[in-house]
Amino acid sequence: MSKPLSANERIKEASQFLRGTLQSGLRTEETGAISDDDAQLVKFHGMYLQDDRDLRPERTRKKMEKAFSFMLRLRIPGGICTPRQWLSLDQLARDYAGETLRLTTRQTFQFHGVIKSNVKTVMKAIDASLLDTLAACGDVNRNVLATSNPHRTDAHAAASDLARAISERLLPRTPAYREIWLDGEKVAGGEEEVTEPIYGRTYLPRKFKISVAVPPDNDVDVFAQDLGFIAIVDRGGKVSGWNVTVGGGMGMTHGEPETYPRTADVLGFCKTKDALAVAEAVVTVQRDWGDRTNRKHARLKYTIEDRGLDAFRVEVERRSGIKLGRPRPFHFAGNHDRYGWIDSDNGLSHLTLFIENGRIRDEDDGPAILTGLREIARVHRGEFRITANQNLIVANVAQEDRPAINAIVRAHRLISRSSGLRRNSLACVALPSCGLALAESERYLPSLVTRLETLLADCGLADDDITIRMTGCPNGCARPYISEIGLVGKGPDRYNLYLGGAFDGSHLSKLYLDNADEERIVEALAPLFAAYARDRESGERFSAFLIRTRVVAATENGRDFHDNTGPLSPPLPRTDAVA
Amino acid sequence: MSRPVHLPRSAPFGEEERASLDSILAGKSATQLAWLSGFLAGLDADAGRALPAPVPVAAEPLTILFASESGNTERLAHDAAAQARKLGLKPVVTDLADADLSTLAQARRLLVIASTWGEGEPPARAARNYKELMEGEGLRLDGVRFSVLALGDSAYVEFCAIGKALDARLEALGGIRVADRVDCDLDFDTPALEWTKQVLDRLKPAPAAATNVVPVDFGARSGGDAARARLSASATALINLNSSRSTKQTFHLELDFDASGLAYEPGDALELFAPNDPELVRSVIKAAGLGTDEALAETLRTERDVTTLSLPLAERYAAIVEHAGLRRMIARQEIRGWIEGRQLLDLLEAFRGRLEAAQLIELTRPLPPRAYSIASSLEEIGSGAHLLVAPVRYESHGRWRAGVASTHVADRMKVGDRIDVRLRANRHFRLPDPATDIIMIGPGTGIAPFRAFVQERRAAGATGRAWLFFGDRQYTHDFLYQLEWQQALRDGFLSRIDLAFSRDTPEKVYVQHRLWERRREVVDWLDGGAHLYLCGDAKQMAKDVRATLVRAIADVKSLGADAAEAAVADLEKECRFLQDIY
Repeated sequence: MSKPLSANERIKEASQFLRGTLQSGLRTEETGAISDDDAQLVKFHGMYLQDDRDLRPERTRKKMEKAFSFMLRLRIPGGICTPRQWLSLDQLARDYAGETLRLTTRQTFQFHGVIKSNVKTVMKAIDASLLDTLAACGDVNRNVLATSNPHRTDAHAAASDLARAISERLLPRTPAYREIWLDGEKVAGGEEEVTEPIYGRTYLPRKFKISVAVPPDNDVDVFAQDLGFIAIVDRGGKVSGWNVTVGGGMGMTHGEPETYPRTADVLGFCKTKDALAVAEAVVTVQRDWGDRTNRKHARLKYTIEDRGLDAFRVEVERRSGIKLGRPRPFHFAGNHDRYGWIDSDNGLSHLTLFIENGRIRDEDDGPAILTGLREIARVHRGEFRITANQNLIVANVAQEDRPAINAIVRAHRLISRSSGLRRNSLACVALPSCGLALAESERYLPSLVTRLETLLADCGLADDDITIRMTGCPNGCARPYISEIGLVGKGPDRYNLYLGGAFDGSHLSKLYLDNADEERIVEALAPLFAAYARDRESGERFSAFLIRTRVVAATENGRDFHDNTGPLSPPLPRTDAVA
Repeated sequence: MSRPVHLPRSAPFGEEERASLDSILAGKSATQLAWLSGFLAGLDADAGRALPAPVPVAAEPLTILFASESGNTERLAHDAAAQARKLGLKPVVTDLADADLSTLAQARRLLVIASTWGEGEPPARAARNYKELMEGEGLRLDGVRFSVLALGDSAYVEFCAIGKALDARLEALGGIRVADRVDCDLDFDTPALEWTKQVLDRLKPAPAAATNVVPVDFGARSGGDAARARLSASATALINLNSSRSTKQTFHLELDFDASGLAYEPGDALELFAPNDPELVRSVIKAAGLGTDEALAETLRTERDVTTLSLPLAERYAAIVEHAGLRRMIARQEIRGWIEGRQLLDLLEAFRGRLEAAQLIELTRPLPPRAYSIASSLEEIGSGAHLLVAPVRYESHGRWRAGVASTHVADRMKVGDRIDVRLRANRHFRLPDPATDIIMIGPGTGIAPFRAFVQERRAAGATGRAWLFFGDRQYTHDFLYQLEWQQALRDGFLSRIDLAFSRDTPEKVYVQHRLWERRREVVDWLDGGAHLYLCGDAKQMAKDVRATLVRAIADVKSLGADAAEAAVADLEKECRFLQDIY
């Protein structure tokens, strides 16, 4: 390899297993930031250095540096936490993080706006609640997802057990986390003593994402992940093993067609007892085969494309010593959540709450979500499950406890009637905190949905489930390329509109409009909604309709994502229904 | 110890002459300098013959005691001394804080110029000696001829309380009052001058004793009368330094004095002659039962204090409008409590009466200027001055109240606007020589003089270390001059910074908490000769910081509370713990 390594490789190499100069950087009071290199390393510890971009224009004039703060992301495999943990996190949010919690598309919490002088305090409190943020970001295995819909008790337990086991197995072993955040003892002898048996000194070439799905729910978007496990459930409801998927991933860069999102391929089948070994082998092959010279070509999806699925399978089997079986049949019904109360086969009840964009806070004149969920956490005897769609399940509620929970839900307006579009909407955080955002997302999507709801209501589609996802940049945190309607920020108030992503998350969408403002987006969607209402077949999803009627081309996989873009048929004429 | 000498810019020499005189005087011992001063004084006295000046045999001693917070009484004391010298007296100006009270009985003539601070308190530095003078036993001043000049602010109920108490005490100790005490409000210059003339006239020796030594004010003041002149300035920059997300505002105001240069030194303050809010003026005129009157409105807006409500004002108003209810309240002494937290407008609205325009003007006192510590050094910025102005706004008795000057700057001033200013020197608050370490504690607007200090020391290439304690509400939104402190830390003219932001954590953290955490190093610096400066809020912060300093010294040096208190008092006496508080 003659190409030079990417800059991050040098930073990792020199970091002494993720220590860098974070200890002294945290003590420097006059700046709220840390050094550029440390800002890369701190991701491995589960946080990003960010700044409030709304304030950027005024800061220099006011003789202040950027309004720096940290985003802290927790590691919660399968998104499961206890009411007691919830109360701790709620207190931290109120004391140090702007009185808000953010549920993410990786089934975890994010704190935003934690200033440097408070980071250690928050980290210690997180540790005291038996949680951590280790490897929630960075070139490592991130938080492991597991299907959260709990109506099949055994399968869900198997999925969340596997997610937790994988997360533990792939956790970095460096003592830097304990040293820096928890004032732990430095291990004698320093780096010589540290071993990272799985990752080595430079960890992975790029981030790595894993999810575990239980059909028919693909709420964890298993095809959008580097590595996935799909439960094969027998007739008794037991998991007999897992289909293994590899090579999914969302990120791309505008204007660089050699970058593209990709849905995963099914690699084979494995037994539960072999799943950890397979996961570790997939990770180490990517560690060694992944492209460390170009971060835009470093995800596993490009390794699979470059080396071929068969070669990859051979190497995984060689390293793990496990022969993968032929994939078993499975069926996904959707990648959405089901709201309201459901009972599971063990007699307990579960309440799924729609949390718009995962934002938990008390609105001035609206629902008091932060307070309401705190009240629930005070009386709840079960657990909380964060879904990969940024929603929340109050899980394992005994029948006799339902009235108390319902009373709190009503008192704090935790449930409001939402359209089929809104309850299937996802947005990343984007502005003002995310440094990558090119356009608004979380702060904008709700109002766009409101506008689209009018169109849908006019066509009688108000209650139809249609997925819509928005991100402020093409990296795709909210998995927009795998949504029926995808909007990806291109610049201020400008989005690429993607259509035709599968409702069950099995295939990608296609670029329909480039760099469009709200008027163009609404203008483009209005006739499509009308046609869908008029001409759809029974049970046909919006995306399937658009492909069948040749509004957009189907995307088979990542390689053809950038082909045949734009409207295939001229836009349909406006009908009376969309006057 | 010899120190560099800088003739004040106001000295009657050209710049080159000043520089060469400075270089001649630099490094001379105190004895050498004293000899020179006597010699030069004698030149004139002896018609050009180069002989040391004889001390006028008949010069009668005069002790002038002052108790100063902001430097006003000190300035008046030196002015009085200058007048006294002309009359052949031999004045000794002493800060009450530093005075040896046991020698006071030997004074035959005694002038006391004392200001009252806040709710009837003496200036902080002088507090110990004031208490000693007021309560000490065995002190007698039999036959001492004295007079007292009291400074105060009639906006406070305890107007001139310290001056009044001293006046009574001196008499009780056996002193002979030669002239009645004069109580001055914020516009003290004219009554002070009259008092000085009157008392000196009564204390002056027989004409034969007069000499022709030209009195020279050797005080460290940067200018003579010119420096006290009212100048017109224009605003060249006005920036709210707090973020738009902050719960407060603090304005960085840059003023330019055009051709009329104003020489000041770090530590000095600048008085702003800001006009009243025209809305408030309109309300006052209306409440006084008067119709629209542009001339009256303009007079009130620019010249009269239309906010302050004092007891005498209420009494005079009651006499003019003959309001029975108000007179009853005055008679029953209920008015004292009533005026608390209220302003002129409340009085006029609560006790309606008709005033003539002239009566309304007469009822109010002249509009006093408001002083702000200068936040810049001429050595760095060349000309002009920077101020840090936080608008004062609060609710009281159901009405929002606004500080005159601060809200004028915050709400009504624009870049390009003009405003009158006047220098107020603060001789107590000066940098030590550049090799000495300094510790600066300045939360909120208290940071202002320390910006000037760091600028000055950068220009001087100071070798002493500098340590800043700053605090405010939120790190992200209220870190005043953050980029400048970062630069100062990089270039070494700030050695370290400790920050306390009270609203970033559930428990409120203030500068005194940081001071306590760093007590070992702070005491270490002080033991090494560091000067400690404190600027900002007098009501709470300054007291808390001082108390923390006492505790810190007690803790680090294992001293009892009294010994630690004495150690801090010594620092104050040695002028190594200096305060500029308001």
